[in-house]
Amino acid sequence: MTLRPLKFRILEIMSDGKAHWNNEIIETVGEEYAMTDDYGRSSINFDLIELASGGLISSLEAQIDEDTGHLLRKYGITDYGKVRASESCFRSL
Amino acid sequence: MDLKAVLKNQNVLKKRSGYMWAMTATILWGLWYLPGSVLWVLDPFATMYGDIAVESGDVAALLVTAVLITAFNALAVVVVLTIWNGSLGKLGELKRTMREIHPCTKWFFAASIFGGPVAILGSFIAMGFVGAAFAAVAALLYPVVGTILANRWYGEKITKRALVGMFFMICGGIVIFGAGITGELGASVPLIGIIGGLMIPIGWGVEGAIAGKGLDVAEPDAALHLRFISETAIWWVIVIPILALVGFPMYTYALAFFDPLVMMVMFFAGLAFGYEYVCWYKSFPLIGIARAQGITILYVVVVVVALYLFFGSVPDSSLLIGGALGIAGAAVMFSEDVTEEESIRT
Repeated sequence: MTLRPLKFRILEIMSDGKAHWNNEIIETVGEEYAMTDDYGRSSINFDLIELASGGLISSLEAQIDEDTGHLLRKYGITDYGKVRASESCFRSL
Repeated sequence: MDLKAVLKNQNVLKKRSGYMWAMTATILWGLWYLPGSVLWVLDPFATMYGDIAVESGDVAALLVTAVLITAFNALAVVVVLTIWNGSLGKLGELKRTMREIHPCTKWFFAASIFGGPVAILGSFIAMGFVGAAFAAVAALLYPVVGTILANRWYGEKITKRALVGMFFMICGGIVIFGAGITGELGASVPLIGIIGGLMIPIGWGVEGAIAGKGLDVAEPDAALHLRFISETAIWWVIVIPILALVGFPMYTYALAFFDPLVMMVMFFAGLAFGYEYVCWYKSFPLIGIARAQGITILYVVVVVVALYLFFGSVPDSSLLIGGALGIAGAAVMFSEDVTEEESIRT
């Protein structure tokens, strides 16, 4: 499988219309792109923050992970995100 | 700590990081003027300027030498960014982004045209036909163009407080260069000089807005590398061959570049410029185009201070008033309330 840029892959996962927790996305994308160390995981999380800042995805729910103390966010794709994803990444959307 | 406080903290951290990137960009942009000025007195550029001035006049010498310096500067930035992205393990992401011509590459290619040939040539045209102070004041207006475009094109939110901050910073810059500009703007300002002056804010303003659009789906480090690869190609594949065909001895001087001292100064220029752009692009998704571009106007203060510290060019007293206005503007912008909203767009 030819890998596409990280934000494309994140938008592809989000484009199923369901809400996803950030740690699930970090897990999935991290495995695919061999980014499973702390630095790789932080990079993917940062891409999620940038996508949310740009209004392509939005956080629907949040909670604190009791084991790690990390902030977990559940993201869903926005209408603008769908438009940008269809313009940019996936013609089929 | 309750969840609401944690969420707000994350937004505060995001805002702080965005401003930190923008401030670092500002400092590096100002510091770039040190190697950027030194290059003009080093060979082959000094000889090139002198030789072309004798043959074709001072303005042609300024523009053609500026093209060669800018082309080498872009090349140096590509080298620096290759080291940067190589160290971060992002060369794979660069390759993946480069393959996406329609959604990614075209935006960063367009950004490189506006930020490179349009803004930089505009600066030198304005400098050559009107004067350095006029070029500097024209450059201060680029956040206005960037803000309007980002707001109208993709609905970037901009608060009154951020606009007030930007206004103070522009006024600060005008105070610093104001005295110089009155002497330059005499009765006969050539139209080409005005066009050059307009090219600067349009070039950098449009670059920021276009980059903001491309950064929706691309990582800043990879995007920026792509932007400079495009700019390098524009200079070396299009502009320099055209100037050589017209009769300027571009390649003779380009081949004389490989002197250790000149290469070292150019590397420092590439380091400052490259990392300045890294910081600038990284701040865009976090605080938006308007704030990032507004803050970086303060580079004029850094330039004047750096030139004083390193070259002994004593600044005018207007630096104190202009600098104070600029810093007040930055403080007004930074003191915006952070809400729980995570998006910078409407």
